[in-house]
Amino acid sequence: MWNQVKSLRLSLALVRILFVLIIILACCTPIMVHWYDVEYGHGVGLLEGSVYFPLSICLYLAAICGEVCLFHLAKLLQNLKNEIVFVAINCQYLRIISWCCFLASIPFFIFGFWRFLSFIVALAAGFFGLILRVLKNVFDKAVALQEENDYTI
Amino acid sequence: MPIIINLDVIMAKRKISSGELAKKMDITQANLSILKTGKAKAIRFSTLEKLCEILDCQPADILEYRKEDTNADKS
Repeated sequence: MWNQVKSLRLSLALVRILFVLIIILACCTPIMVHWYDVEYGHGVGLLEGSVYFPLSICLYLAAICGEVCLFHLAKLLQNLKNEIVFVAINCQYLRIISWCCFLASIPFFIFGFWRFLSFIVALAAGFFGLILRVLKNVFDKAVALQEENDYTI
Repeated sequence: MPIIINLDVIMAKRKISSGELAKKMDITQANLSILKTGKAKAIRFSTLEKLCEILDCQPADILEYRKEDTNADKS
């Protein structure tokens, strides 16, 4: 029977798998970017020329943000698994994840000058960061309510 | 907070220990400690009622409003 605990375990497992996957992909970045540069070298963008270095830098920076994001996401899920939900530290994790999304959108935005399509990725990352920020604000309120409830005798 | 809880004063006057009061009120000693130390954010009417009944006092004997000294922060 599917339940909340199994769902949390699945989420945690997926986060860990993705964490490892990003490391592997980061190691393969030079090969992948080279292949992209050779195969799809003539994309639409303001700037011309090889995208090898801009795309590599963009992907490495995004990978760092992604790893930080996933690390804190795992911590958040671990807290949820241990029934620690409305606490200040979870808000802190959400805040960090949200900022990571914003930061990840910056390299994609810059890479957008080489490939316009990258602007969409930057927008998606920024939008996701915004949603998480709102979620963090909701969590902040919930923490205050929980504290008030805990200290009501 | 400008609301002061004088529970320890009343408890001393009535010569009742924390453990005994917590037991009579049917709350944990930890919760009573939160109340005594002024860490509580709110108090239920039912809790106040029990306190007044057990300690034979009025709510005003337990709760006191004292204006915060704003000058103290400036100096």
